[in-house]
Amino acid sequence: MKNSIKAGTFLVAFLVAPLLLASMVIDFRSFDHEGYTRVVLQSERSFTYKVQDQPGRLEVRIAGRADFPARSKAVPNSVLLERVTCEYQGNESVITVHFKGGAAIKKNFVLEDPFRVVFDLVRSELPAAVPPRTDGAVSADEKKPDPPKENPPAVPPRSDGRRGTGTPDVPVSQDREAVPPRSDEAVPPRPKPIETICIDPGHGGEDFGAIGRSKLKEKDVTLKIAFKLKKLIESKTGLRVIMTRDKDSEVSLNSRASIANNQLAQMFVSIHANSSFRKSAYGSETFFVSLQATDPEALELAQKENQNQENPGETIQNDELKMILWNMAQTEHIRESSKLAEFIQNELNELLGTRNRGVKQAPFRVLMRTAMPAVLIETVFISNAAEEKKLLSDEFLDKIASAIYNGISKFIYYYGSLVK
Amino acid sequence: MTKRTRTALLVSAVVVALILAALLLLPRRKPSAFAPEQLSHGDETGGRIAEFIKVKIFFITETSPAMSPVYREIEVPEIREELYRKFVSLLLAGGEGRIVPVPSGAQLRSLHYLVGKEMLILDFNELLAASFPGGTTAEMEFIYFMVDNICYNFREIKKVKFLIGGNESKTLAGHVDLEKPFFPDFSWLKDE
Repeated sequence: MKNSIKAGTFLVAFLVAPLLLASMVIDFRSFDHEGYTRVVLQSERSFTYKVQDQPGRLEVRIAGRADFPARSKAVPNSVLLERVTCEYQGNESVITVHFKGGAAIKKNFVLEDPFRVVFDLVRSELPAAVPPRTDGAVSADEKKPDPPKENPPAVPPRSDGRRGTGTPDVPVSQDREAVPPRSDEAVPPRPKPIETICIDPGHGGEDFGAIGRSKLKEKDVTLKIAFKLKKLIESKTGLRVIMTRDKDSEVSLNSRASIANNQLAQMFVSIHANSSFRKSAYGSETFFVSLQATDPEALELAQKENQNQENPGETIQNDELKMILWNMAQTEHIRESSKLAEFIQNELNELLGTRNRGVKQAPFRVLMRTAMPAVLIETVFISNAAEEKKLLSDEFLDKIASAIYNGISKFIYYYGSLVK
Repeated sequence: MTKRTRTALLVSAVVVALILAALLLLPRRKPSAFAPEQLSHGDETGGRIAEFIKVKIFFITETSPAMSPVYREIEVPEIREELYRKFVSLLLAGGEGRIVPVPSGAQLRSLHYLVGKEMLILDFNELLAASFPGGTTAEMEFIYFMVDNICYNFREIKKVKFLIGGNESKTLAGHVDLEKPFFPDFSWLKDE
């Protein structure tokens, strides 16, 4: 009997040991920077998490059991943070960062080697707590406006009473380097209503883009669609529209982004026709920039995070800061870019009736440097004989322009609800 | 309980514990890489025994955008970079019914493995960009055909960087940023 108990004890010990070993040790640290506070949760293993940004606190729910240094720990000398706590709820570990006043997440991203979840928090007004409803219904305040079913009403003309003419107010310089976001703008300013849209007809000049079987050139198709889209936006909304090229000329990818940034465009729409090594590939897809580890954003942020970790008080050199800010230009707008892509892709599916290849992400060079919501639309495949034939039809190009316009309109409506 | 039973129980417990630990501790986000199979073939004269590895190469086909696998064998050379070069040659050679998303005339000029960075640098000739058909999808087909196949078969390689004519190039055909190295995206692969 004694031997059986011993054997049983061994068995339990061996079964429990790996479970104990498997619990993740999570380190917490925070740094105050000018305008924001960075919170880092670091673990030797990656983990999945959910974030709840609640009044007065940030809740991070981690699947599994996290081994946290203390149940409750004060954060001394922090501008925004008061203390951090950890508790277990069912199969989840809940790490709660308590704020001293109101704070909001400005940015949240993940870094590798070691695995880190990073939150940049900024001060915000503490909203009055809304008691949760027990019937599961959504209160009027919580409701987000639904995008209009049909074409939304025209956006009112600009505050100065002018209607867009398509001619930039300031001469467009392609040589001038665009100004990166200012370093003292750590707290993003409240977004302004959209007044200027930049349309980017892909390729041009010696850069033909993809070429179809019947020798149709992508650069010609994109320019035609861009003109149609410009006309639609101007006539229906009165918004100012600028184009990165309005003739068959070659414009570098950096210059395209510079034009949009210099003209303070609040939306960047790059138009393309797709091509594949598979001749049968067809359909439309809309891209926004990716933030995977291949991106300079993630790498630079990692570098910055590492530097701060080593020398929390160290000021980053100007050139380096400029580079980081440049690379972060699109990061600031990633959520809006995703939404814009979604609206446009939905409209393309509906109007074109072609295959929905969906909304995707990729490290597009032209999108990376734009400091505004930005998307790249691959209308249809010029490498597919049937779709190339469609691109030869003016009526089909009208449809594409209408679909993009509808998507833009819905985004403007959505964006308006963010501004209010 | 006899000593034998106790030992058997203990061994089973250790095995169960190890399996559980492995399941829980292994990172789940990263897809498992393929371990090339080691093979040995004696030559007909009974002399040298050549070492081969069996690799799994994914190609796109006209019927599916996801890359499906075929198996190939490579004789293992003494220099590791030569193995990578042979592997890239197999990629470029393709196979029946398989699409090689590389423009005709494009060839590998040189190849370098940076051990510290776990990065393979592929330097193609200028025809890669000059003959590239254009299109975002075509660019991504080329990039992930190379990167996924290499990183899938050689787990020591974590990322791949492309050079054209010995220099960094901004893009292949005006879309995807080519200056940064690429990590694999195994969602392009369709395993058996």
